[in-house]
Parts: sequence; C-alpha cells; structure tokens
Amino acid sequence: MKSLNYKYTIITSLIIAFLFSFNLFAQEEDASNYRMRFNLKTIKQHDNSRLLEASFIGQNKKDRKDRIPVFDAEIAFYNGTDLLGIAKTSNEGIAQLIVPENQIYTTDEDGYINFIAKFEGSDGLDEEEDDIQVKDLFLELNLEEIDSVKTVLVTAFTIDSLGVKTPLEEADLIISINGMISKMILEEGTIEDGEFEFEFPTDIPGDANGDIMVYSIIEDNDDFGNLIQQKSINWGTFKTESVKDGNTLWSEAAPIWMYIVLTILLVGVWANYVYTAINLFKIKKEGQEIALAAEKELEQ
Amino acid sequence: MNLENRKRELAREFSPMLEKTTKTSKIWIGFLIAVILVGVYAFFVQLFKGHIVTGMRDNVVWGIYIINFIFFVCLSYSGAFISGVLHFFKTPWKNSVSRIVEIITVLSLIVGPIFILLCIGRLDRLHYLFIYPRIQSPITWDIIAIMTDLIGCFIYLYLTFIPDFAILRDHSENASKWRQKVYKYLAIGYQDTPTQREKLHKITRTMSAMVIALAIVAYSVLAWIFSLTLQPGWNSSIFAPYFIIAGLYSGISVIIIAMYLIRKYYHLEHYIRKVHFIGAGIVLLVISLLFGYFTFSEYFSRWFSHKLSDANLLNTLFTRYFWMFIFANYIGVLVPIAILFFKKLRTIKSITFAAVIAVIGLWFNRYLIVVPTLESPYLPIQDTREEFVHYTATWIEWSLSFAGVAAFILFFILIMKLVPVIPMSGIIDNEREQKKVKKSFKKIVTE
Repeated sequence: MKSLNYKYTIITSLIIAFLFSFNLFAQEEDASNYRMRFNLKTIKQHDNSRLLEASFIGQNKKDRKDRIPVFDAEIAFYNGTDLLGIAKTSNEGIAQLIVPENQIYTTDEDGYINFIAKFEGSDGLDEEEDDIQVKDLFLELNLEEIDSVKTVLVTAFTIDSLGVKTPLEEADLIISINGMISKMILEEGTIEDGEFEFEFPTDIPGDANGDIMVYSIIEDNDDFGNLIQQKSINWGTFKTESVKDGNTLWSEAAPIWMYIVLTILLVGVWANYVYTAINLFKIKKEGQEIALAAEKELEQ
Repeated sequence: MNLENRKRELAREFSPMLEKTTKTSKIWIGFLIAVILVGVYAFFVQLFKGHIVTGMRDNVVWGIYIINFIFFVCLSYSGAFISGVLHFFKTPWKNSVSRIVEIITVLSLIVGPIFILLCIGRLDRLHYLFIYPRIQSPITWDIIAIMTDLIGCFIYLYLTFIPDFAILRDHSENASKWRQKVYKYLAIGYQDTPTQREKLHKITRTMSAMVIALAIVAYSVLAWIFSLTLQPGWNSSIFAPYFIIAGLYSGISVIIIAMYLIRKYYHLEHYIRKVHFIGAGIVLLVISLLFGYFTFSEYFSRWFSHKLSDANLLNTLFTRYFWMFIFANYIGVLVPIAILFFKKLRTIKSITFAAVIAVIGLWFNRYLIVVPTLESPYLPIQDTREEFVHYTATWIEWSLSFAGVAAFILFFILIMKLVPVIPMSGIIDNEREQKKVKKSFKKIVTE
C-alpha cells in the first residue's frame, strides 16, 4: 500500500512539474530576440516602369521559422543621393515604390544605377539600409507566327548614353504563361547575343476566349536585377466554353440505368411472387383431388 | 403417437387461446379501441382544419408522424429480415419466436405507411404519386419498395400460416361455424401430403430469402430519402447501413418485449423459455454494439469536419435537445450493453428492460435525426416566429401516434385469436425431425 502511494506521489509530481515547465520555458516576444532582415530588390516591369521593393522582417535568433514582419515602417528609396520616394511597409513587411519609365537615373562610370532603401530607425528598432546596383536593360517580347509556327521571340539590349543598342551577351530567361493561381513555366533557356526563340506549344487552351498572357522573365540577374515583359495573344486552342452536363435527375426522364436496375429488381421479385402463387394453386389442386377421392370412397 | 392424434392434441391445447376471451382482455381491447377512436377524432380535426393543428410549419415540415413512419417501417423490415434468417438458416429456436416476428412484420408495415399519409397536406392529391411518378425521386422508390415489400410479407406470412390453418380446419370441431369456414378457406386444401409439404417448404424457403433481400433494399431506400437530401445531418454515406442496424436494434427489442408479454399473458412458459430470451439478448447485444459504433462514426465525422452547418446542428443537439440526445445515444445504447454484457444480469426481466430502453432510445434517435436537422437549414429561416423555428408536437399528433401503437397491439391480439402464436406445424415438424434423428441413430447403433 505504501509503495502504491509512493508511486502515485511520484507520478503526480512529474505531471505537475511537466505542466509548469511550459511556463518556465515560455519566451517573451522582445525585439532583441529577433535579427532584422532588410532587403531591397528591383523589378523592371512590362511598361518599363521600375518597381523598388524593400522587405523588412524580423527573424528569431533561436527559431529561424519564427518570422515577424515589421509593418508601417517608413522606407525611403534613393538613386545615389537623389530621393525617389517614400513608402510604408505593409502587414507583410513589404514597402513598394513604382518609379515611372521617364525617370532619369544617375549612373556610375560603368553604367550601373545605384538604388538605396533606408529605414531611419525608431525607439525599438535600429536604422537599416540596403543597396543594389543594376544596369538598365530593355527586354522586348514578340509573339509571331513564322511559317504557321507560333513563335516567341525575345530580344534584350542595353542603350548607352549615345543611344546605341548593345545586345545582351548572355542571361537566363524564363518563358511562362498566366495560370489560374500562379504563372506556369513553359521554357527555361538562355538569351545569347541578345536573342531567344521558342516554339510555342499547340495544346495550351487559354481562357474562355482563347487568350493567353505570355511572360518573358529575367530573375535575380547579378547585373540587371529582375525584368519582366508580357503580352497577350489569342493562341489558345480551346476557344469554346465547355458544355455542362445537365442534371439528369431533374430532367423529364430518369437516367436509363435507373430504369434497367428498377426493372430487374421488380421483375425478379414479382416473378418469385408469381412462382409462389402457381405453387399454391398446385397445392390447392392436389388438396381438391384428395378431397374428391375421399368423397368417392365414402360414397362407395 | 399417431400424427393425427398429436395434431388434435395441439389444436386442443391452443384452442382456448383462440376462442376464449377473458375479462381482462376485453377491458384491454376496449381501451385500445378507445385510444384508436380518439385518434380517429384527431384525424378528422386535422383533415378539416389542415396541418395548422399540428406542430409542423414551413420549416419543420416533418414531425413525429414521419418518426413513427420510420420507426414502424424499420420494425417491419427488421422483422422480415429476422424472420427470413430464422427460416432460411433453420435456426433451432425459431419455432417459439417466428410467428411473433412475422406478425410484427406485417402489422408494422400496415401501420407505418398510415403515418406518411398523415404528413401529406393535400391528401386529395395522393393519387398524383401514382399517376405522375418520377423514377428519379427516392419517394417513388420508397412507395414501390413499401408496396412490393408489403405484398411479399403478406404472402410469406400466409405461407407460414397454411399448415396451422389446415390443422385447425381438421381439428376444431367445437369452434364456431364462421371460424371453421375461415380455416377451410385459408387452408386451401392443404392435407400435409409429402408433395404438398415439399412444395410449401420450397416456396417458403425461397420467399424467406426474398424477404431478406427485400428488407435490405427497402431499408436502404428509406435511408436514402434522408441521405440523398442536402440537409445538415442527413447527407451521409453511411445512412443506409446505419438504418439497417438501427432497424434491427428496434426490431429485436420489440420482439423481446412481445415475447415477454405473450409469455406472461398466455402462460406460454413451456414454449417461450429463458434460453430464447438469452439468445435474443445476445443478438441485441451484438446489434447494440454495432448501433453504438455507427452512431459514434456518424456524429464523430460531423464534429471533426466542423462545417458551419454541422457545427450549428451539433450545438442544437447539445443544448436544446441535450437530455434527449443523452438518452438516445448514451443511455439507449450503453444501458442495454451493460445489462446484456454480463452473464449474471441476463434474466428474462432485465433483458426485457434492456429492450424497452433500446426501443425508447431508438425512437428518440429517430426524432433527433428528423427534427433538429429541419430546425437548422442551410438557408436562414425567413419567418422567425418561435413556432416556425422550433417544433413541438400537438395533442393531435400525439393522439394519432398513440392510436397507431394501439392499432398495432389490437391487430396483434386479433391475429392471435385467429392462429396460435406458437406454430403448431412447427412443433410437429420439430418432432418429426427428432424422430428421424433417433431412427438414424438407432440404425447406426444396431449396424
């Protein structure tokens, strides 16, 4: 009995200790526990405007999966020392600024544009800064049918201060189309001497009108950053809307299988009833014959 | 003993049960008729004033009428199923219970559909169901299934009655003339000759297999009326087997209750013995475990998926219908299991008590399937008056329900006045089989 009590005391103590241990190890959410990640990237968009995007996210020093976005932080974007504009971070910790196509940038002697994103700091957070250097690249996307072959033609070039076009030597390129949820990659290749050619597949359905949005994308290039170009074309092979099957249960007549199943069931059951009735008549007939025979015997 | 003498002896043994009516039974019959008359009055009130006299409204369009319908029809199907199994597999103790089961089957199949007629607002349009049937509609399937099953059960019941009618025809010299005429007519010249016996056994056996299949199909069709409807709590893939198990649960329970009452009232302790109760009790235990399992699976999957409509329904079940839910799904399942599980607790009275709890629990279970679902529709209720949102049965509905139960009991008593509740032919068949076994045993020993 004693040992039983002792056993229960130990188990209870362990359970209590286990429950309290959660409180002992609980961590407070303090900015000092987080390392700030401040990154800048640039995307040259299809209309040649430029998107500057700064992400501002705190990452737990001990638990890397614990990431908290810093929202409502004022980020200033610069080209060298020229202020391009100010944007605030969203709930996801992202601040975006779109610089129009006609913006004239200052460049260094090699033709690189220097972009800087700055956070001035607050009571709880230190000052943050990131910069990126990219060359201004022009990406052109042409969709043509060459000898009845649907072809995607991409050209990429830079323009110097005198207006001379220089084809891009080499860069990775992605050709994708607009999907329902995200972009679907069709081809991953390399632009060489400023040109890339790709035969468009013939089995892409497109939207209800057969239209397809085609994208050519250069991603995270060391010299040019991110570039995207897009064009819509009526190359979809599936242009008619799918004909929906009507609900046969609510139509005038039931589906044929229903009649077949019901008929088999009913015929099976009723055939058995008829068989039973025939046998009952046979029993009755035999009974009548016995009764007649008995009557005749009595008469004799 | 000579076969004819044995038949005469049996006819003499059972004839008081058929011909004599005691004072108690007269009072009992009078009471049942009075209950039925109140029900008839309630029916006319409903007929002339419309469904406004019931608790059913736009939202809850099905009340206790449909619950009684499901209950009785399930009882019938389970009766057919059990009876078919008893006959088809030649169960040793079938003789004591088979007639009770067969009578329950047919009577509940007559009483049950009357309740569905009470649900119909425009009875004058009833014939439209037959003139313009939609094969796509589960209601049409149910009408076909019920009618086919009713005819099948009638034929089956009649087949099992024929040998007894023949015995009563030949050995009830003291019975009234009309009774003798009825026996003569219904016995259809059956003389128990080997060929007649063989024919009758063959068709009875085929019909017993047929009623098992029919019961399963008809059960499933009844369940599909609910499960093919997009309503919270109904649209479930396990409803058909769940209904079959629930029907068997109520069926076996009602058989146990009937066995207890008949044994006590007609002093048939010699024929309906403790071993029959224990056998039925063990079957009830197995079915109650299955029923509990299906009930848990049904509610557990709804609770776990936690769709908004299902969550609302479960919330209603655990608040407004809390005690009914506890009785139906906890007490109604666990108490019979607890009683029947332990060998020491398996007495005639305790098994009957477990059966009573199971029947009440199952009736509540049916109520919880129908009413709370109709009270929690997918689309919001337009008219939010209390009587439109919630359902409460009126005295009209209760009196018609009790009238149905009274009619069931009254018809049962009347049938027992026509044929013995223990099949005499079954006793003779049993004795004949035993003689055969003895003879073959003697032969083996002497050889």
